[in-house]
Amino acid sequence: MKFSIYRFNPDVDKKPYMQDYDLQLEDSDLMLLDALLRIKELDDSLSLRKSCREGVCGSDSMNINGKNGLACITKLSDLEEPIVLRPMPGLPVIRDLVVDMTQFFENYNSVKPYLVNNDPPPETERLQSPEDRAKLDGLYECILCGACTTSCPSFWWNPDKFVGPAGLMQAYRFMVDSRDQALDERLENLEEPDRLYRCHNIMNCVEVCPKKLNPNAAIAKIKDLKFEQAREHKNKAKKHIEIKSV
Amino acid sequence: MLIELLTKRYPGMRAWLTQRLSALVMAIYSVFAVARFLIVQPSHYEAWVDFFQPLWWRIATLLFWMSLCLHAWLGIRDVFKDYVPNPSVRDVLDKLLVVSLWVYLVWATWLLLA
Repeated sequence: MKFSIYRFNPDVDKKPYMQDYDLQLEDSDLMLLDALLRIKELDDSLSLRKSCREGVCGSDSMNINGKNGLACITKLSDLEEPIVLRPMPGLPVIRDLVVDMTQFFENYNSVKPYLVNNDPPPETERLQSPEDRAKLDGLYECILCGACTTSCPSFWWNPDKFVGPAGLMQAYRFMVDSRDQALDERLENLEEPDRLYRCHNIMNCVEVCPKKLNPNAAIAKIKDLKFEQAREHKNKAKKHIEIKSV
Repeated sequence: MLIELLTKRYPGMRAWLTQRLSALVMAIYSVFAVARFLIVQPSHYEAWVDFFQPLWWRIATLLFWMSLCLHAWLGIRDVFKDYVPNPSVRDVLDKLLVVSLWVYLVWATWLLLA
């Protein structure tokens, strides 16, 4: 099987180049990661991240034949030859297929991806109704592989401003959590024009998500919550005026 | 509620919503414009002048132009933000954009209402 892999070692190379490999596969090599590990046995200078090898850790996300995905759950039989592998676009390359994800995680951290609840902690866990818990389905499964965010041109052009699909989906995940008490602050946090509204619904994020999640829908629902917030502010203001006039 | 979202309190939503509302105005006008065009079918200069004679139509057309300018300003400003990384060049382009859109709007107003 033929491979063309992006190579760049900043200590040695002046600029990146594509290296070709022709690999004899074994019957047990079913996934792209199996083939990559086979290549690494032949050429141990090739760098890539991997860990769980079953689509849970999100370490081996890369650009596979022009589309971001996880090497460990991409079937070799589904890929056209030569298989062209590049690092995920839009992030600085550390070496070969390994990118620096600092910006991605900074954006993720900026949405406060944790519960904010100022009530005294109960003796047992904070309970949720099955209906409230169901609201988190399709959101909590995100493994933060970065495939969606690095497929998004809005992130490529404004990585320090636009939060990106993964971060925004996690922002929504905590907005709809019945145990969270910081909805207003969370919405306020995304009001700066470039943080949320740079999304132009081109759906690259939905197309590449290896967990089949829909960050675009979450982004649209954040805008719905904005409308609800404005309605509530208006109602509060009305009540305030009524009380004053009484 | 829509008006609340168009205030300074919501800078991101304000721009986003303005672009959608202006698109809605343009879409409604376009349907009426096509329908009117098919009914009246102006074929020469005088017929076109008559086409734009009713005051309500001129006001609607002006509303369309205002929406178009707002929509274009927000859209092209975003394109500049994405593709012109140099802040000084972007600033010049932003200003040129605003000036040219104002020229178009004033020109359209003059044509429609003068």
